[in-house]
Amino acid sequence: MAGRMKVDTAAIRSRHPHYFGPPARDRQVLMLAGAAAVILLVAAMAELGFFGAKLIGGIDKLGDIAVLMMPPSPGDWAHVRLYLLSLMETIAISFLGTLLAAVIALPIALLAARNVTVQRVLRFFTRRSLDIIRSVDILIWALIWINVVGLGPFAGVLAIMTSDIGNFGKLFSEAIEAVDRKPREGIVASGGGAVLGIRFGILPEVFPVLASQVLYFFESNTRSATIIGIVGAGGIGLHLAEAIRTLELQQVSFIILLILVAVAAIDVVSNQLRFALIGRRARLA
Amino acid sequence: MLRLDGVVKKFGDKRAVDGISLVVPKGQMVGVIGQSGSGKSTLLRMINRLNDPSEGRIFFEGADVTRLTGRELRQWRARCAMIFQQFNLAGRLDVLTNVMMGRAFHAPLWRALLKLWTHDEKAMGLSALEGLDMARLSGQRADTLSGGQQQRVAIARALIQEPEIILADEPIASLDPRNTQVVMDALQHINRHFGITVMCNLHSLDLARKYCDRLVGLAAGRLVFDDVPAALTDSVARDLYGLESGEVLGPESRPDLVPAPGLAIAN
Amino acid sequence: MASPVVHLPEAQLRPLLASYDAAVRSRRFHSLLVMACIVAAIGLSSVSAEVDLAKFFGNLGNFTSYIWRLFHLDNGAWVWADPVEWYWGAARWLRLLGETLLMAYVGTALGAIGAFFLAFLAAANVAPRPWLRLLVRRFCELCRTVPQLVFALMFVIAFGLGPLAGVLAMAIHTLGALGKLFAEVVENIDMKPVEGVSATGAHWTAAMRYGALPQTLSNFVSYSLLRFEINVREAAVMGFVGAGGIGMDLIEAIRKFYYSDVSAILLMIVVTVAVIDTLTSMARHRLIGMEERH
Ligand SMILES: Nc1ncnc2c1ncn2[C@@H]1O[C@H](COP(=O)(O)OP(=O)(O)O)[C@@H](O)[C@H]1O
Ligand SMILES: [Mg+2]
Repeated sequence: MAGRMKVDTAAIRSRHPHYFGPPARDRQVLMLAGAAAVILLVAAMAELGFFGAKLIGGIDKLGDIAVLMMPPSPGDWAHVRLYLLSLMETIAISFLGTLLAAVIALPIALLAARNVTVQRVLRFFTRRSLDIIRSVDILIWALIWINVVGLGPFAGVLAIMTSDIGNFGKLFSEAIEAVDRKPREGIVASGGGAVLGIRFGILPEVFPVLASQVLYFFESNTRSATIIGIVGAGGIGLHLAEAIRTLELQQVSFIILLILVAVAAIDVVSNQLRFALIGRRARLA
Repeated sequence: MLRLDGVVKKFGDKRAVDGISLVVPKGQMVGVIGQSGSGKSTLLRMINRLNDPSEGRIFFEGADVTRLTGRELRQWRARCAMIFQQFNLAGRLDVLTNVMMGRAFHAPLWRALLKLWTHDEKAMGLSALEGLDMARLSGQRADTLSGGQQQRVAIARALIQEPEIILADEPIASLDPRNTQVVMDALQHINRHFGITVMCNLHSLDLARKYCDRLVGLAAGRLVFDDVPAALTDSVARDLYGLESGEVLGPESRPDLVPAPGLAIAN
Repeated sequence: MASPVVHLPEAQLRPLLASYDAAVRSRRFHSLLVMACIVAAIGLSSVSAEVDLAKFFGNLGNFTSYIWRLFHLDNGAWVWADPVEWYWGAARWLRLLGETLLMAYVGTALGAIGAFFLAFLAAANVAPRPWLRLLVRRFCELCRTVPQLVFALMFVIAFGLGPLAGVLAMAIHTLGALGKLFAEVVENIDMKPVEGVSATGAHWTAAMRYGALPQTLSNFVSYSLLRFEINVREAAVMGFVGAGGIGMDLIEAIRKFYYSDVSAILLMIVVTVAVIDTLTSMARHRLIGMEERH
């Protein structure tokens, strides 16, 4: 029996390495990393106050809050009007911020794209600047712009714009780098300069991709626009923060409900538009 | 007259074109043949300056075009039209706009940017298209056309440059037999009737023999053959391609398979 | 040299031009319509968002002078002339920055662990109960649509000021975002190993553990690392609502116009984010490399 079942494990292992999981050294590294991650997690949770009375008491209180939030209610009709108006303001902030960012980001993206800007130093600095813009949160931009143009929705527009210049600059330049080089080569070979090459050889080709990215960000920016009000940059966030601070919890849940509906509606609309843009392209390809 | 003087192109360590000297008199139709990777495309692209030579110089009508920059470079490119294997059209633009890119050098920049072509410019583009039986598709997006139609648009773009020399890089490699004939006939017509020099990279030796006044053979970036088509014997072709002659002379060498004549060019 | 273009007679040209112009006109009309809609939306939005270009350009000087002041100490010298003065609060800020990183780490880890369990309940191909699947999906959607900061505001009321509220808010948002991504990963697995394990009569949990999990783990880790990058940025502003981390000092510095403090803290955040991004992308490439090796 034992003789019949004898297996040359080493030979099989060398012939079918993929059945035996990662090589032993890799597995050791992974296990060490996993252990370290767990220890760090527990230590960090202790440091941040997870194991005190605060957590239990808080969860208890959270339960009370959840009960008090139901059912959602605006309080009175004056509040409904107020909330709907500031919801519109929120959408307006998001729309303008996204659009401005797209318009400004396009030339910057050209500067950051390898196939357009051959000047390596210029490209490098453009990319680093975009990275820096992206590493600063939108709320920080909102606070900075408030210092320049004062409290109100306009600061919110500028905050979304600034933050998205960073995002669009990166995404657009990647889209431009991925574009087929042949159309532009055709124009350059007939004596067209760089400007015409970009205008007719690149922009028409990347337009659907860029438009689709802009629409996608419009939706996610509407979400961001709901919170910039918390620091005073306009939109419904102001009322939400106010309602939370004054513990008008039914109004809080009403506002959250409004936000969810608005975001879902914009999601549907922007997806339809994106589908129309990309679908039209797919049909003709 | 086009003169190449010891032209070399290096990509890293690789010498894609390795010291080619060549004189092409005005009005000649030259076929450039050789295996894939032998440097044909690179040679043509250097003449148009899409690639810059690493060594050597290129002269046209006595003037050195190797060092041109800026406006002068664009002027040279306008005089030396290029036709590509993959057509190199902007797929999302309409046919006439693609053709008008052939006037890119001549029209003022602001007008070109806004697509504000004059009546004469549009008339020129449409006439060139009509000569290739394409004018009725002028408003259509280029990427809705078949390969043969796209290549005809590219030829119209080359024509309205009113070039002195046309460089065609395997213009028929992506086309079916009927369109192959249409495109090659068009190039021959341009060459014969208007005395425009044509340099054409070709894969098929039969087409090269049929259409060209002179054949230039490349192997590993070097010039290994330069003579009239009749001198291209099977044994030379075998050397050039490193193949059996049966493989070189494909089915197109049999006259019964050559497609019927296509449409006439211009009128 | 003769032009190779033989010009058509005017009579033949006219219909061709007309048909081209008609084609262009209909397309142009379409784009004009779209443009008109966009312009109208811009007009409406500008009113609603109180866009005031006069104020903007009037105050644009403020922006440049603001930036200028950010990089100057109270005594008027450039900040880098006296780094000790610039980073007078280094010890405190470093501690807060550390707290910010810990918040991001714990928030990501807890969210990922939760998402890990939910993913198998929410993936269409392996979900044990359809109603449970729908419930989990809706829950994840709620968690990721309500902004993190809104959770943080409410948690501050329940748990008091401090990082605990921020971490929990972040964990819940991460749970929603990763739950959706993880479920998609599970939906894209090869079902043969799962069926193989199920065919031996094993329980659902065993089928997941031995059939599905091995195929998904590296994607889970990769998505979690990406989320960690995002959460580091978000953790930096949790302090704006009192939910811990360096944001607390940052908002105070901005509100009270402690210019050089603002630039000092911002620089710390930017550098930290850059380092974290580099490290996580290295880790992700390492992971992909490991996957490809066997
Ligand atoms: N941009 C490039 N970078 C590096 N190598 C290139 C490039 N273009 C061409 N080559 C190389 O140069 C050689 C000649 O290419 P090519 O001129 O395209 O040949 P052909 O057109 O005869 O097929 C090939 O070996 C090719 O790989
Ligand atoms: Mg080639």
